Amino acid sequence: MFNRKGQIRIIEAFFSIAVVFSVLLISVTFPSQPDLTGQTQLANLGMQALMQLDGNGTLGNLILQENWTAIKTCLDVLLPLGVSYNLTVYDESMLQINSQAIQNSNLQGHEAVSVEHVCATQSTNTEFFILRLQLAWAQ
Amino acid sequence: MRTSRRNSGQVLLIAAFIMASLLLSAQLYVIEVGKISTETETASVNDFILVVDMGSRHVVIGSVANISNGGPTSVLASNLEKWSWIIGRQYKFGKNVLNYTLRGSSPYSSGIWTYWGTNGFGTSSGYVNFTYTLKDREVDLVHPYFINVTTSLLIESSYRTISGDTKQVNVTITVLNEGQPAPAKQIAVQYKFSDNWLTPNDYTIMDYGNGTYTASFTADIPSATVEVSARVVDQRGIFVQANATGSPI
Repeated sequence: MFNRKGQIRIIEAFFSIAVVFSVLLISVTFPSQPDLTGQTQLANLGMQALMQLDGNGTLGNLILQENWTAIKTCLDVLLPLGVSYNLTVYDESMLQINSQAIQNSNLQGHEAVSVEHVCATQSTNTEFFILRLQLAWAQ
Repeated sequence: MRTSRRNSGQVLLIAAFIMASLLLSAQLYVIEVGKISTETETASVNDFILVVDMGSRHVVIGSVANISNGGPTSVLASNLEKWSWIIGRQYKFGKNVLNYTLRGSSPYSSGIWTYWGTNGFGTSSGYVNFTYTLKDREVDLVHPYFINVTTSLLIESSYRTISGDTKQVNVTITVLNEGQPAPAKQIAVQYKFSDNWLTPNDYTIMDYGNGTYTASFTADIPSATVEVSARVVDQRGIFVQANATGSPI
């Protein structure tokens, strides 16, 4: 009777140790790296959208006109639903020139990816801009 | 006392579960906090090359537009110099260099050819050869390409004498971008009267939707020949002009 109780204690102790170690194992193997596949997809979507917009010089013209609302509308159309973005436009000296946010939601708390695009205008006075598009899957 | 001794194994187990859940939640918290500050910069080499190609084209278009509207020819070289500099500092994962050569062989000079002839043909063109070189840990590539931006104008004119010096003149205008029909943004037609170019008081322009337009007007032109001129600005802002002598119907 006494021996059986001791055996049960040992089994319980083993079980407890197994529980703690299995949790430690899960913690170690939990994916702490960013989801690179999802990020690559996001980056591709962002680059495609910017290149499509810049293909015929529309992007440069809209920046020259400081028509940030139109740029946002275009990105809303070109990017799929479920993608959050924030676009920042810089001049060639890397000074931000968009006076209002070009974004569809706040990216804080998201795992974001960033792509850069260099834009030259087709205007007679050629100007250059650098665009940084941050993207994240909407939660 | 007997009861507490009997339950001590269960307490141990519960304590183990609590410890396990604490460890797990701590780990999840660390992962979530990491997510907030995670921002990865990605740049595909292929995408970057496409961006360089596209931007180079925009620069040549803007420069030809500037030069055809009266700007100095040096604008092309100075714009390309700036573009090369911006590209050179942009790719962060390696060394990249964009070199360019302005076409100098006839009929081009410093990458530009403007010909606004009296034979019904006019052209404003820019031609630049590029070599883009990229070296990083994984890629070592040389990408040669060229950009040819050409706006051409073809005009044909015919006229019919209505009475005396009054003539009904038709001018058929064809606009081409890189040899393909393209729409115009502005069209202006003039006729020659005693060595002066005059704009008709009233003329209509028919748009056929395929880069072809017909301008029709009536004017008093005493000379036996009818000389007309068309000035066109295409959708890219490139100006081109051509003159032609009308044929009687």
